[in-house]
Amino acid sequence: MSTAEDQQTARFGHTELPEEQKAALRKAVRVEWVTIGFLAVSTLLVYLVLGNSQAMKAAWIEDLLSFLPPISFLVATRVIRRRPSETHPYGYHRAVGVAHLVAAVALLVMGGYLVVDSALKLITTEHPTIGGITLFGSTFWLGWLMVLAMLLTAGPPVVLGLIKMKLARTLHDKVLYADADMNKADWMTALAAAVGVLGIGVGLWWADPVAAILISTSILHDGIKNVRGAIGALTDTRARTFDDAEPHPIGERIDSYLRSLHWVRDARSRVRDEGHVFHIEAFVVPRRTTRATLHRIEKARRTCIEMDWKVQDMVIVPVAELPEEFLPGLTRGGAERQ
Amino acid sequence: MLNIRLMLPGLLLLLGLTSCGIAIPQDPNGTLERVTGGTLRVGVVENAGWVEVPPTGEPRGVEPALVEEFAENLDAEVEWVPGAEHELVDDIFHGQLDLLIGGFSADTPWIKEAGITRPYTETVDERGETLKHVMLVPLGENAFLLRLDRFLQAQEVEV
Repeated sequence: MSTAEDQQTARFGHTELPEEQKAALRKAVRVEWVTIGFLAVSTLLVYLVLGNSQAMKAAWIEDLLSFLPPISFLVATRVIRRRPSETHPYGYHRAVGVAHLVAAVALLVMGGYLVVDSALKLITTEHPTIGGITLFGSTFWLGWLMVLAMLLTAGPPVVLGLIKMKLARTLHDKVLYADADMNKADWMTALAAAVGVLGIGVGLWWADPVAAILISTSILHDGIKNVRGAIGALTDTRARTFDDAEPHPIGERIDSYLRSLHWVRDARSRVRDEGHVFHIEAFVVPRRTTRATLHRIEKARRTCIEMDWKVQDMVIVPVAELPEEFLPGLTRGGAERQ
Repeated sequence: MLNIRLMLPGLLLLLGLTSCGIAIPQDPNGTLERVTGGTLRVGVVENAGWVEVPPTGEPRGVEPALVEEFAENLDAEVEWVPGAEHELVDDIFHGQLDLLIGGFSADTPWIKEAGITRPYTETVDERGETLKHVMLVPLGENAFLLRLDRFLQAQEVEV
């Protein structure tokens, strides 16, 4: 599609982030380290009081799984710093997608396992046994410690999640978004586990496996959502916003800008999300009367790249008419496939 | 994601129950209530030093002595049920026993069939491994278990 000249003039290895994104990235790395630190403390704390509660087990495994997104984020941010090379002419941006998929599969598998495990406990009417613990010379019910541990670990992830959510928007980072999304919902997990344990306390043995089923369903749900998102990204779904809520507006902006040029009769582009940055192929049909000079194409491309930091890897292809085979949904006019 | 609206009624119910002064934990099958002032059905498995079961008369040893004191605490009569370990474990699993003793240690394989107390004493076996001694209780009878744990933790058990 793109000519050899295009590739030579294209600023391919442009991996510099703008100031705002640089600051966001630095902060995100810091926040993810804080997250890992917090998780280390909370998993240890919860492990110490784990006992026989299925809900606590589910909450604990969720804590363990929560290590994956921050770790994959930190690894991926290292990998994608590398410049494109001869063997990786598109750069290493896809590392983000790989990290996302790995974390998502772990969530899916563990969530599924826990749903089955918890359901079996409910079906076999296994009564969870929680006895006493002796601390500082007095023996009291271990369930109280479990509830305390859950309440202590409920708050911090929510704060971390809210911070990360903002950074995910700035960085257009889906791993960070998935992580933030899970953190934000973490207090509900903790609360559910606490309710399960208190349920055991008042003699409702089934409260525990029911709470565990709720928690593991939420893990499974996160897993399914993230696997879908990660596979979508790796199989070149059209670029969407950081939260996958809608198609990313940049495609539309580029198209309407190109169409507005006096030498362009029609324009249409396809955009794929490489992780943080987009790959864009824009097809333009020049007017017969006004010629598409090299200078005009170059200028249009520069303007597009300046629209958004994510637009770095873009080619403009002058064509006689818009190619249906590269732009599916063309004949249905207007709106692209969602 | 969890639905908070689903959990709220449960939470309110629990808060209601706890604020009504209901003791936590409770036994789903009411073991503690039934045993107090009643009969404590105790399975005994022969285990030299810990539980000795003579052909006639009452079991002797460290654990029967503890159980008798515990029963006295609860104003309960002890009904001794001697038998083979796996049979008695099956009995306690099906709620036909309230307590099972036999020099069990905390790494007992019976954790699917019975609840275990906190270790109340430790010994070292001939291979130099530490054994943490426990008793077996019915699964999920947490008020009874806590009562027993409190009692056992308060004892100085010399072996």
